[in-house]
Amino acid sequence: MIGFTAPLALWLLPLAGLPLLTRWLRASAVPRLDLRPAEGASRTVDHGMTAAGVIALAALILGLAGPFLRGGTAPYRGNGTNLVLLIDRSSSMDDTFAGRAPDGAEESKSAAARRILQNFIAERPDDRIGIAAFSTAPLQVLPMTTSRTAIAAAIAAQGERGLSQTDVGRGLALAMQMTRDASGLGSRAVVLVSDGAAVVPPEVQDLVRELALEQQVNLYWLYLRTAGARSIFDPGKPGEADTPQTRPERHLHLLLQRLGITYRAFEAESPEAVVEAVAEIGKMETKPILTERSLPRRELGWLCFLIATLATLALTAARWLERPFAPARPAPLVRQP
Amino acid sequence: MKRRIILPAAAAALAAVAMTGPGLQRPQTLTDALLVVDITRSMNTRDMAGMSRLDFARRALTDWIATRPCGSRIGLAFFTERRSLTLFEPVEICADFASVKGALESLDWRMAWEGDSMIQKGLDHALRRAEGFGVPLIFITDGQEAPPLPYSDPARFAGNSPGGVILGVGGDQPAPIPKFDDLGLETGFYEAGDVQHAPARFGEPPPDASERPGWHPRNNPYGEADLEGSEHLSALRADYLSSLAADRGLGFLRLSEGPAALDRVLASHATGKTVTVTRSLSPILATAALVLLLTLWATGSRRITLVRKETT
Repeated sequence: MIGFTAPLALWLLPLAGLPLLTRWLRASAVPRLDLRPAEGASRTVDHGMTAAGVIALAALILGLAGPFLRGGTAPYRGNGTNLVLLIDRSSSMDDTFAGRAPDGAEESKSAAARRILQNFIAERPDDRIGIAAFSTAPLQVLPMTTSRTAIAAAIAAQGERGLSQTDVGRGLALAMQMTRDASGLGSRAVVLVSDGAAVVPPEVQDLVRELALEQQVNLYWLYLRTAGARSIFDPGKPGEADTPQTRPERHLHLLLQRLGITYRAFEAESPEAVVEAVAEIGKMETKPILTERSLPRRELGWLCFLIATLATLALTAARWLERPFAPARPAPLVRQP
Repeated sequence: MKRRIILPAAAAALAAVAMTGPGLQRPQTLTDALLVVDITRSMNTRDMAGMSRLDFARRALTDWIATRPCGSRIGLAFFTERRSLTLFEPVEICADFASVKGALESLDWRMAWEGDSMIQKGLDHALRRAEGFGVPLIFITDGQEAPPLPYSDPARFAGNSPGGVILGVGGDQPAPIPKFDDLGLETGFYEAGDVQHAPARFGEPPPDASERPGWHPRNNPYGEADLEGSEHLSALRADYLSSLAADRGLGFLRLSEGPAALDRVLASHATGKTVTVTRSLSPILATAALVLLLTLWATGSRRITLVRKETT
C-alpha cells in the first residue's frame, strides 16, 4: 500500500500537462531547407521531449507529496511458540536461593530469573510472548506481543520489590486466558516461575482445569526451590502430614499433573539449574508457529526525484544538441537590381 | 546557445540533490514519562460523562500517547495501597504503541492487591520510581485518601523530584462508589457505614476533639464525631492534589482538559531530553526544481502545427 505524507500536493498534478501545450526546443515559423522533415525520427524526438517534460513535472510533484510504502506486518512461519510467562511477585522472590537477603555475591531469585529469561527470549526471535504476574491478585503485565523491546522492558520492571501473598491459582487462570490471544497455528505454553505456592481454592481449580482443556496449553513450572524447602517430587514419609495446607507446592504439582495437558515441573536450586531448565523448555517449545514480522515504512520520494532528475537531464541534453537558427535571413538567391 | 541549458541543468541538479535527501539538523525536546494510574475503588465511580474514572483515564491517556512525537518513551505503572507497581519500564511509543495500548486497556481495579488508597504515600513511591528511571511522573488519581489522613502534619517528600504532573480525574459533585462482591459482580454502592470517615484512633487526636461528643481526656481522647461522614461519596479533590503537586514540584491538571493542556503543563514542570532530528530539505529543493521547470516550459515556444501544404 502506498501512502502520501502530503497528499494535498497531488492537486498540482494537472500542471504536469503543461508540456503538451508548449515546445521545449526553439521553433520558427520560417521554413528552412536544412531542417529535418516532420516524420519518423524527428517526430519521435518531438514526442520524446513532451514525454520527458510530463514525466519530469509529474515525478517532482509526486516526490513532493512524499510517497511511502506503508509498513505493517507480514505473516511468516517461524519456529517458536505462543508463550505466557507467569511470574511470582511475592516478596520471597527477593531472597537468594539460600533464603537470605541478596548481598552482592549472590543474586536474588527474582534477579536470576529475570536475567535468565531475558537471555532466553533474546535467543528466540519467533516467539509471541505475553507476561502476567501474580501476588494477592493476578495482574496482566503485557498482552501477547512480538515486540522484543516491550517484552524486555516488562521483564526488567519486575525487579521492583515484591508484593505480599501468592495466589497462584488465579494467576494460572489469567495466564491461560491470555493464550486465547495466540496465533492460530502454533503451540501455546505457559511458564510459571515461582518459588512457592499456595492452596488453590476448589472453584479456582475448576476454572484452571476448564481453561487448560480449552486452550490445550503446555504447562511448565519452574520451581525455584529455596535451600531447606521440600522437593515437590518427594511424597513424604508414611504417616507424615501431606495436605495442601502443609505442603502447598507438592499439592499444586499434583493438581497440575491431573489437568490432562502436557505438564513438566523443573526444580532449580541454583541459577545454573534455572539455565538448564529454561534451555530444556526452549527445546521442547520449538515448533512451527505462524507469527508476524513487522515491516518498516519505506520512503519512495527518492525514486520520484531520481526519475525527475533523469527526465530533466534528457531535456537538458536536448537543449545542448539544439542548433540555433540562422541569425539572419539567408541572402536572396537573386541579387536585387 | 549555452545560456539555454543553464536553467534546465540547474533544475536537474536540484532534483538530484533532493534525491540524496539532505537535511537540516535541529534540536527537538522529547519528554518521557512514567504513567501511574490509580486503580483503587474510588476510580470506579461513574461520573465522567457516564464512564467510570478509570475507563475515562484509559481512553484519554491512549489518545494522548497517540499524539506524542515518535521517540518519546512511556512506562506504565499502577497505584494501590501505598505504593505503585511498574508493569514495564519506559518504551518507545511508536514501535510499541500496541503493547502500551493493550496494557493500558487491561488495567483494572481487580489488579489491586489491597484496598487501601494512600495517595500521598503512593505518590512519593511513584516519584522515587520515576526518579530511578530518570523520567518525569504522570500520576492519575482522584485524590481520595482511604483511610483518611491522620491529624498530624503530613510527611514531606524528601527525595529528589523528577518533575511531572498530577492528573485529576473525577467530577466536582460527590458521587457514590460502586461496590463489588467476591466474583467481581456489582452489588450496589458503598454506604456511609461501610467506610472509615476519620483516621484510625491512634497518633495525634483531632485538634477539635474536646468539642466532640463523648470526649474524655483519658478514656476517649478522640471524641465520637468520626462515626459518620461522607467518605463513601467521592469527588475530585482538586485542592488537595494541587497542594500535593506544589510541594513536589509537580504540575496539577484535570485530565478532562485534554491532551494539548497536558503537553503544556508537562513541558513546564519537567525537563525533557533534547534529541537532534533531521528536517529534510528535499521538499524545498524539489519545489525549486518544479517552479524552474514549469517556468521553462511555460516560456517555451508556442506549439506550431506543421501543416503540409499540398502542391497542385
